[in-house]
Amino acid sequence: MNTIKLYLRSMAILMKCQFQYPVSFFLQTIGQLVMEGGEFLAVLLIVDRFDTLHQWTPGNLYFFFGMMSVSFYLTECFGRGVTGNFPNMVRTGQLDTVLLRPRGVLTQVLCSAIDPRRITCIAIGSAALVLGSRLSQVQWTWWKGLLLIEAIGMSMFLILGLFLIEAIFCIYSVKSVEMVNALTYGGRSACQYPVDIYPRPLRTLFSAAVPFAMTLHVPAACILDRSLYGWPSWTAFVSPLSGLVFFTAVYLAFRKAILHYRSTGS
Amino acid sequence: MKIKAYASVFRMRWKMEIQYRGAMIGGVICQVFFGLILVSLYHALYDGKPQSIPMESVSTYVWLQQAFFRMLLSSDSELAGKIRTGDIAYDLSRPLNLYGYYYVRILALKLMGSIMRAVPMLLFAACLPKGWGVMLPVSGGALCCAITALLVGLCCVCALENITMGITMRTLDPKGIQSILNLLMMTLSGNLLPLTLFPDSWQKVITMLPYAQLLDAPIRLYTGVYAITFAPRVLLVQVMWAFLLGGMGVLLWRRNQHRLIIQGG
Amino acid sequence: MRYIEVKGLSKTFTVRKRKEKGQLFREKTKVRALDSVSFSVEQGELVGYIGPNGAGKSTTVKILSGILTPDSGEVFVGGRIPWKERREHAAHIGVVFGQRSQLWWDVPILDSYVLLRDIYCLREDAWKKRLDELTERLELGNLLRTPLRLLSLGQRMRAELCGSLLHCPELLFLDEPTIGLDAVSKLALRDFLHEENQKNRTTILLTTHDMEDVAALCSRVMVLGHGNLLYDGALPELLSKYDRVRMIRIRYEDHAELGGLPERCAVSREGQDYLIRYEPSKVPTAWLLSELQKAGSIRELTAQQQNIDHMIAAMYREMDL
Repeated sequence: MNTIKLYLRSMAILMKCQFQYPVSFFLQTIGQLVMEGGEFLAVLLIVDRFDTLHQWTPGNLYFFFGMMSVSFYLTECFGRGVTGNFPNMVRTGQLDTVLLRPRGVLTQVLCSAIDPRRITCIAIGSAALVLGSRLSQVQWTWWKGLLLIEAIGMSMFLILGLFLIEAIFCIYSVKSVEMVNALTYGGRSACQYPVDIYPRPLRTLFSAAVPFAMTLHVPAACILDRSLYGWPSWTAFVSPLSGLVFFTAVYLAFRKAILHYRSTGS
Repeated sequence: MKIKAYASVFRMRWKMEIQYRGAMIGGVICQVFFGLILVSLYHALYDGKPQSIPMESVSTYVWLQQAFFRMLLSSDSELAGKIRTGDIAYDLSRPLNLYGYYYVRILALKLMGSIMRAVPMLLFAACLPKGWGVMLPVSGGALCCAITALLVGLCCVCALENITMGITMRTLDPKGIQSILNLLMMTLSGNLLPLTLFPDSWQKVITMLPYAQLLDAPIRLYTGVYAITFAPRVLLVQVMWAFLLGGMGVLLWRRNQHRLIIQGG
Repeated sequence: MRYIEVKGLSKTFTVRKRKEKGQLFREKTKVRALDSVSFSVEQGELVGYIGPNGAGKSTTVKILSGILTPDSGEVFVGGRIPWKERREHAAHIGVVFGQRSQLWWDVPILDSYVLLRDIYCLREDAWKKRLDELTERLELGNLLRTPLRLLSLGQRMRAELCGSLLHCPELLFLDEPTIGLDAVSKLALRDFLHEENQKNRTTILLTTHDMEDVAALCSRVMVLGHGNLLYDGALPELLSKYDRVRMIRIRYEDHAELGGLPERCAVSREGQDYLIRYEPSKVPTAWLLSELQKAGSIRELTAQQQNIDHMIAAMYREMDL
């Protein structure tokens, strides 16, 4: 309870900071719009040219895109401390300050930043989601709504976990963080589309190792009244939990890594 | 004298690239992964739906885009930092052709950074089966034209980046405008989706924009989407842009310099 | 009661050297930051912790405050092992880094203090009382609504101190607290620290290069060099060992012939003045004075003790640091 209060208070302060430079904030928000707009445009153009992709209709594709987009940018918005600031915190020794306080490291890192600029990306993702569900004529029921929330929430855990791997690399001062980037951003790009269109190695990667297929595609397919691997629909409720499992595993590694933190400066 | 100074900028860049091999290898792996994902996606899309543009051409397009990805993104973080902290003021007040200096710096950054990455990536892509990797150029002439076009295109992009920097010097906010232009670049250069797959009516406009000059035009020459007889026209458009953008940049920088001297005085 | 207890503390860092030309892999070298250091500190002591750059001072402080994990050795601070019970430990200590801020840059400092209240889970009334007390003693009253970035260095340091004392820590680490401060701020800060130490029996460990700080505040100093504890005791005793050199500043009416002075006296010129450094134990003062008188007619003469920085420099030299 106390943690939630702390988080809210931190967010309030951070928002105050953000709005101290309104022009910059505005321009950057527009920049985000262009970015996610470009991504969505690519999907629209692909649909325009190819119409369908295996068994998936245009509406389905928009829906998948929207799910990924909303989960990814919600994570980047609220997890900014991990996704954006952490390398800097390690490099400048700001992590020292975090370690000097009687709170969990991850809690404090998450409290240290928010990225409200992502709101435009989230808006575009939501628009794609609505458009997709309309075109696919989804019959919304309460359990489908619940499934949607679960899928997005668990995907956020998965994405946060991926960024946390990057953070672990930073602590061990490994320079080639870009390799992890391949998984994070590559995973996002790839899994904007349902995973069953890919050849087997990629499918395995995104089902078993970095389980975007489990957290996003299985429940999304279920909401669209289809089935990804031909699995029964109850699996759609269970498979997203793999995101939480993934996150927990990485988090435990992160806690170990913190003990190896070697602060900078004299 | 001047040539020598510019040459040393290139040499320094080359040394730096060699020093950060770790980051380079990571970057190559990342880009290869992206390439594989994109090619797989187009294979799935092409499945049972033959298109006017053959699959080999699309996969070649993807790989060349990934290989020279470094050329797209704005690269000179040091200059951006100088603008943010205001240190650029010192540079601007110096009696030096700043535009030329930074132009060459950015050129060196983009060229050296991408050659180091492109070679291993293209070697890897060449080993992939037909339709998944890079195909050979349609002819030797096409290859020559493509390389020329790539270099002229690079000049366009550097000029474009210098304009961005010039604007940033006014707004003093490198992040805002730079991120917008960076992202326009990703979409309009064909990195997100090959421009050859855009609707035909769009292509007529987009291929004329400066963003398409860097990679799209050379790749089209390489894959034969543009016939070799079309090459002079492509090069003409590129050269025109290079001069136009360069001229605009020089004007902008000169005015910035002027303004600063007046302010400082 | 022993508050800090350190036994055989060691920490080694692996440093990757830069690649040289033609070398394929970077060399790794091990640097011993701390080599089996032992000491203890009583509750309520004010201890100065000195040593040249790179001696391992910061490493010690970082281990004692729970940021770093040592390779070996036992550490108990207030009965806790810092890196094992980091969160519990953090609630009882305060740290001020002279060159690093722990407050939020863009917001009024009061907002930072509110956030700290939530981070340390302080009770509203206790926090308010302590804040009032600290703002009064540190004269922060009319700065509370100013963002940190608009404060001067002296004001910022006071704000930092207030931030790290809000939760009434039993132990306070200060790392170069007076760096870059003007004389007035420095003196005010020393007074404050002295008072804090007396009033609340806060144990204070002060790391600094400013020997004036140490001389003014600390009853005890520890000297660290090459990862070893070289001295632990009172400052005057330490200095008496190195306080060997005296200095004479002399001005003549006109030209003077000082060539006859033995080589053990270092003679230098500063404008019209001559500066003569000598060791009374080796060169008798009476003899020196007579020599000086022979050299010309003296207008002014002052004899000085060497300043404390010179003594410390001599000490570091002697200890081969």
